[in-house]
Amino acid sequence: MLKFTRRAAIGGVMSVAVFAATQGCLTAQAHAEGVHDVLNGLIASYSEHAKEGMSNKSVSELFEKDGFRDYLDAYPVGGLADGFVWKPGMGATFTGPYSKLEIKAPFTDYIPLPEGPVLDPKKTYKIGFVFHGFNHPWLISLADTAAWEAARHPNVEIEVIDAEFDDNKMGQVIDTWVAKKYDGIVLWPSREAPMGPPVDRAIDAGIPVVSVDRRTSSEKISSEVLGNFYANGLQEGLYLKEVLKAGNIVLNRKDLGSTADSIRTGAFLEVIGNVDGFSIQGNYHTNSQRTLAFQSTADALQAFNDISVSFNTGGEEAMGALDAIREAKRLNSAPDGKKIIILANDDAKEVLKEIADGNIDMVSPYTPLIGDIGIRAVIKHIGAKEGLNEAPPKLIMTPNLPMITKTKMVIEGVETMTPDEWPYAYGPAVN
Amino acid sequence: MTIIEEKSSINAAGGWAQMRFLPEIGDLSRIVVLGVLVVAGQILYPGFLSPENLRVVLTAVAGIGILAFGMTMVVITGEIDLSVAGVAVLSIVIGGLLLPTGSPALIIGATLLCGLGLGLVNGIFVAKLGVSSLISTLAMLGIASALANIFSAGQATYPEKIAEYMWFGRGALLGIPVPILLLAVMALACVFMTRNSTFGRKLYATGGNARAALLSGIRIDRVKIVVFAFCGLCAAITGLIESARLGYINPAAFPGLELKVLAVTVLGGAALAGGTGSVFGTLVATLIIGVVNNLLNQMGVSFYMQQVVTALVILVVVVPGMRNRRFVK
Repeated sequence: MLKFTRRAAIGGVMSVAVFAATQGCLTAQAHAEGVHDVLNGLIASYSEHAKEGMSNKSVSELFEKDGFRDYLDAYPVGGLADGFVWKPGMGATFTGPYSKLEIKAPFTDYIPLPEGPVLDPKKTYKIGFVFHGFNHPWLISLADTAAWEAARHPNVEIEVIDAEFDDNKMGQVIDTWVAKKYDGIVLWPSREAPMGPPVDRAIDAGIPVVSVDRRTSSEKISSEVLGNFYANGLQEGLYLKEVLKAGNIVLNRKDLGSTADSIRTGAFLEVIGNVDGFSIQGNYHTNSQRTLAFQSTADALQAFNDISVSFNTGGEEAMGALDAIREAKRLNSAPDGKKIIILANDDAKEVLKEIADGNIDMVSPYTPLIGDIGIRAVIKHIGAKEGLNEAPPKLIMTPNLPMITKTKMVIEGVETMTPDEWPYAYGPAVN
Repeated sequence: MTIIEEKSSINAAGGWAQMRFLPEIGDLSRIVVLGVLVVAGQILYPGFLSPENLRVVLTAVAGIGILAFGMTMVVITGEIDLSVAGVAVLSIVIGGLLLPTGSPALIIGATLLCGLGLGLVNGIFVAKLGVSSLISTLAMLGIASALANIFSAGQATYPEKIAEYMWFGRGALLGIPVPILLLAVMALACVFMTRNSTFGRKLYATGGNARAALLSGIRIDRVKIVVFAFCGLCAAITGLIESARLGYINPAAFPGLELKVLAVTVLGGAALAGGTGSVFGTLVATLIIGVVNNLLNQMGVSFYMQQVVTALVILVVVVPGMRNRRFVK
């Protein structure tokens, strides 16, 4: 008898993508080992050990309760398209068309397209880029990179629309572009399920569609450009295990069930699951809101006087936690007068400043500077449709990025980078 | 009949002199609920009543409390202000644009003036142009939020270098954090304004029976313009406090703030129909919310469950009052 379980549902939705990833790996050229592969090796190793069991009761209880295994097993981890090897320092520098900020985008050499006219130079190609959030530094940076890539090609016209976190509006925008017979569509969906039908309608109309960073529920989608959530959480765990053997941890997490939360928190727990000295003391969903993270941390500091670690699934959460710890004058209130270790994701410039100042201990970068990959992928899909080139893979993993620490470290083969060495930070600078 | 309803009846009868001497303690049930929560907190966490934890609770609610005072006055006049989140965010963004000048007076002044000005516009639309407050403030919410994004290009700014700005969120006077002091000062000023001034009487009269108030010679349009302007100013102060605490002016700040403030206002005893409500009741409601959130966070209760518990607390406190009000009618 068939049973509908969460494991089955997530597994079903993602199985196609995992299959595609495997196909991509098999066809990829042999490539030299870069940070991407080192981290993928660690992911495989820690995941395997965690599957055999976790000796830490506090960690395993949370891991089980929130069903992290289901999400982690279904999340694709694989090689890069065409055997690409990313090295720190790669990428182009330009001024963001929207943010007007200086941007160094890391992956402009990934699925490359030379500057100038693309495909049939006599034709003009219309591409729609729809996303949410012209009021969010991460998302503006995403749009910046997409618009920059389109601007490199004189016969590409791009229309950028902010759907303002309204799934219906995003669906209507896509339908409008279908009616106008656009050549390609790139989207950053907020949620998976609602964007499936509009994407299917576009594909059925013969228009290639590429999603960046997040997924849709469409199985027909031309390509998905996916980030490195697994490597993010893994590195938070690796760093913690390197610098501390025991301590009480407070978690500031994103929305329950969000991919960023499930994979980052799950991967972190996988790494520390067999270190018996760690204990999860507080577990809060602060939904990427700095004020909520601030308040939950402020209250946790009142409830517990022996917090050693603040784990955060995002940069907003980390900044909120840091502000609360600073306001309570508790930066050095871990047992034995040690500093509370603050772990973060998202390499915003303000987070890097706090790392340089020694307040936040590490950050796993999660770059928004990937809109350009989406544009190049959709152009190549249009070309494949016109018989001009091969189509890019269905699953395009973005390269795993190394963690950033105040001073250079090598942790289980991962060479960290310092804030000074990291040119890819996004968002406004903190003066 | 609760004291609030009694006062409302007196208002309708025009008994100004009697109202002046009524102790404005709000619904007793609110104070009882707050007391129970505090006792429960101390039993569960021995450090609950420690000065440090009280500081955490009070600084957490200072911003929303001040804004709720402004909202309470608007609601007493029978109107509603849904624009507060937009006004708060546009005010701090305007101030943030002036950060390069390095002039605290200019930055803070522009922030407060922007809040006051936007509130004034709300008031003029409602009182002079006769636009429903629901519609005009909803429009203002959209316009102000959008302008905040346009002016800032969606990017945050950091006021850390302006010490006077940061003082609003992180400073202290005589060991008391500035947000708590501002909450106390605003509470006293608002209690005085509503209870002991001619303007306070006009406020209740306007909300209780606008036509009667008009016939009594009260310029209800002026009253409304003043309360909307004041509410805008409160929104700017809240924006100032919160952005200074986090050292971060965010054009996407305060999502859903208007509903949180409305919830506190209603929990404090103000009726959306107008004519009733008290600043003291709002202050007690603010403290209830602060204590509930602090306790739930300390107990590690999930954010989602906190929303459920907070809503239940509001229902527990508000529903009996509603039943009394029906009985009075």
